[in-house]
Amino acid sequence: MKKVFASIFALLLLVSTVLAGCGSKGTSEDGAAKNIKQEITLNAMSEPPSLDPALASDTTSGWIIDHLFEGLYTKNQKGEPVLGAASDVKVSDDGKTYTFTIRDNAKWSDGDPVTAQDFEYAWKRVLDPKTGSPFAFYMYYIKGAEEYNKGKGSADQVGVKALDDKTLQVELKAPLGYFDKLLTMWTFYPVKKSLVESNPKWAAEAKGYVSNGAYRLTEWKHNSEVVIEKNQHYWNKDAINMEKVTWKMVNDATTYYQMYKTGELDLIATLPTDAIAQEKNNKEFKVVPYFGTYMFMFNVNKEPFNNAKIRRAFAMAIDRKAIVENITKSGEKPAYAFVPYGVNTPDGDFREVGGAYFEENVKEAKKLLQEGMKEEGWSKLPEVTLIYNTAENHKKIAEAVQEMLKRNLGVKIKLANQEWKTYLETTDQSNFQMARMGWIGIFVDPTVILDYYLGDSPNNRTNWVNKQFDDLMAKAKVEQDDKKRYELLHEAEKVLMTDMPFIPVYFYSQNYLTSPKFKGIVYPVNRFPDVRWAKKIAE
Amino acid sequence: MYIVKRLLTMIVTIWLIATLTFIIMKSIPGDPFASDANVLPEEVLQNIRAKYNLDKPLPVQYALYMKNLLTFDLGPSIQSETRDVNTLIADGFPVSAVLGLQSLVIALLFGILLGIIAALNHNRLLDHVAMFLAIIGISVPSFILAPLLIKYFAVEWKLLPVASWGTWAHSILPSIALATTPMAVIARFMRSSMLEVMRQNYIKTAEAKGLSPAAIVIKHGIRNAILPVITFIGPLFAVLITGTFVIEKIFAIPGLGKYFVDSIFNRDYPVILGTTVFFSTILVITLFLVDISYRLIDPRIKLTSRGD
Repeated sequence: MKKVFASIFALLLLVSTVLAGCGSKGTSEDGAAKNIKQEITLNAMSEPPSLDPALASDTTSGWIIDHLFEGLYTKNQKGEPVLGAASDVKVSDDGKTYTFTIRDNAKWSDGDPVTAQDFEYAWKRVLDPKTGSPFAFYMYYIKGAEEYNKGKGSADQVGVKALDDKTLQVELKAPLGYFDKLLTMWTFYPVKKSLVESNPKWAAEAKGYVSNGAYRLTEWKHNSEVVIEKNQHYWNKDAINMEKVTWKMVNDATTYYQMYKTGELDLIATLPTDAIAQEKNNKEFKVVPYFGTYMFMFNVNKEPFNNAKIRRAFAMAIDRKAIVENITKSGEKPAYAFVPYGVNTPDGDFREVGGAYFEENVKEAKKLLQEGMKEEGWSKLPEVTLIYNTAENHKKIAEAVQEMLKRNLGVKIKLANQEWKTYLETTDQSNFQMARMGWIGIFVDPTVILDYYLGDSPNNRTNWVNKQFDDLMAKAKVEQDDKKRYELLHEAEKVLMTDMPFIPVYFYSQNYLTSPKFKGIVYPVNRFPDVRWAKKIAE
Repeated sequence: MYIVKRLLTMIVTIWLIATLTFIIMKSIPGDPFASDANVLPEEVLQNIRAKYNLDKPLPVQYALYMKNLLTFDLGPSIQSETRDVNTLIADGFPVSAVLGLQSLVIALLFGILLGIIAALNHNRLLDHVAMFLAIIGISVPSFILAPLLIKYFAVEWKLLPVASWGTWAHSILPSIALATTPMAVIARFMRSSMLEVMRQNYIKTAEAKGLSPAAIVIKHGIRNAILPVITFIGPLFAVLITGTFVIEKIFAIPGLGKYFVDSIFNRDYPVILGTTVFFSTILVITLFLVDISYRLIDPRIKLTSRGD
């Protein structure tokens, strides 16, 4: 692992020298680079709800926290997990016990050493029922974690233990093929034990905030801006170019677009729809696939969607290309499966290997609809209402789907919309026939996507329960061999897509405008851009 | 006596508002912890609910809330994990207040001026120009005006920053955007009130006495004509200083206005109650001050409660 890291680092150095060489125009690049203040201004869009790794459960908070902290594993430029605060890891033969060595030079931003006890404390704090951590369930793979979090066990029974200051032992319930990816998540970041114990509100303000990553929090003007500066105690600080990162909190799309145009912001995401057409050919414009799927869920307990053929007929009768090209318009890709693009597997991208599980075919769809109705003994299709949460884009998509179903299948469906929280309650109670939903993977693995439709998943609102699917998923989770693991996941997806308790519509994308003054910004497929390695090359 | 009675009524009013808000807010469907991103296991949800006392029966929640309210503790915010409602208000209110006061001054100054000019030039060109401006001010909503101001003053002419908060320059465009509609309303109020006053006999008497036109307008005209405007600026003051959602969103201002709307979408119960109670307190105090100011402006008005 160490070797891989070292060689990546060397490669990077090489690449950056070459790039730097390209950029120089007569002047010595070193001199020019030294005179340019390494500062960047981003837009968080809104106040981060929490900068406490145990409490954060949204990507805005995560964006900032990811720059402030570092877990045992961290993500490299390619988004792959590499060792971070740990310098070494040993895995037992049964794949259940991990022994991490914390780096000797891993330090908190106040200069104190990061210890194994800090990790143990941080993880048990996440699991403590009193903390009420929304992401605690991501730790349920650890022995005793679920019991403790649900109030049925004690902290001592949790399989996380600091053997000494620098050695952390983690015991899992069962082997987990993607534990390294999981460990890059902010829920697994350490917190400074002595600080958090003495001040429960340590993460509320910049003053007194201590972190262990590339940056430290220097200013937090609530609802206005967050400023972080390079952490001089960070063990890998030489790899960090950007000295200072500022997040403004501008929520209005037109406003932040104009702030980008006047240079008040260096990078913006999610352009206003009318600006996308205008910026499409701009070199600063960038569309990145986003690790999520837009879909319509069926309630398989309600007519007519108790019939699998009718579900499939609906899926085949929708023109996805028309939706992404005429409505969403920002580089989304039509979806014919559940897991989005972006997972690198030994055989290539998971989605490309898996391919499409159905095709759009009006003739076939009509035939399936007739067959389905015959099976159920219906001469007329029961009335269908499609619900969506109140938003302009959802409305447009629902109307397009309504029109497509009418034209292609001769089925007239009704539309209804509800305000967001009401909508969540309605769908949670399975009080729908067909409902729109989106799902974004918190880390890039097919598991976090496919888990959505597990029989006991609280997310699964469709009432679809399939033992074969659940078994394949359980098998995939404990499979140690990566290749076999992905094969099992493909099989599971196939089962899901054969039964189709939902219609995939498109895979999300994220669009950005980035000032040409910056190089080296990384755009992960399920997070906002990472500027740890970014470099400002012009004033 | 009047003041004591008035104060008691104010307290009862605020209590009634808090109680009604509590009932209405709890009857909207939806859960503050519901999310599409992660539907939490029931046990975890219970832990989180317990943190905010939401696991207790409604009457107990109500009693706890009222008890805290008596000590001016508005409770924790659900949305901002580590911060409480008192801090949210303490941070946001000064910002909204500065912005609100600035726009109130603009609205009053220009509104009254436009109204007077229009009234004194009744049915002449200046009157038509002033009222044309007023109609535009009323009919162009701030969410149209604000982007236009940004487009020209910030993007095209680069005179002022687009948005965000920090220096006085940041506050100019939002103050103007916020002031326009009230300014137009004040101008129309002032005009009709002024026209009414200028027809009165005492104005004719003043003219007959040989007072200069300026003295007539200032001493007799404005003083009498301004009463309806004061009635209007009472509630306006309360609205402006507690922040407005649209302007704060467009200009990225860290004020209080967003909480009034966001808290409802998020079902952030303590914030819904906190901001409502805070706003109604400011409103009843302002209305009280308006009543007192009537008396100062027009000594003929007596402050009495009914039955006294």
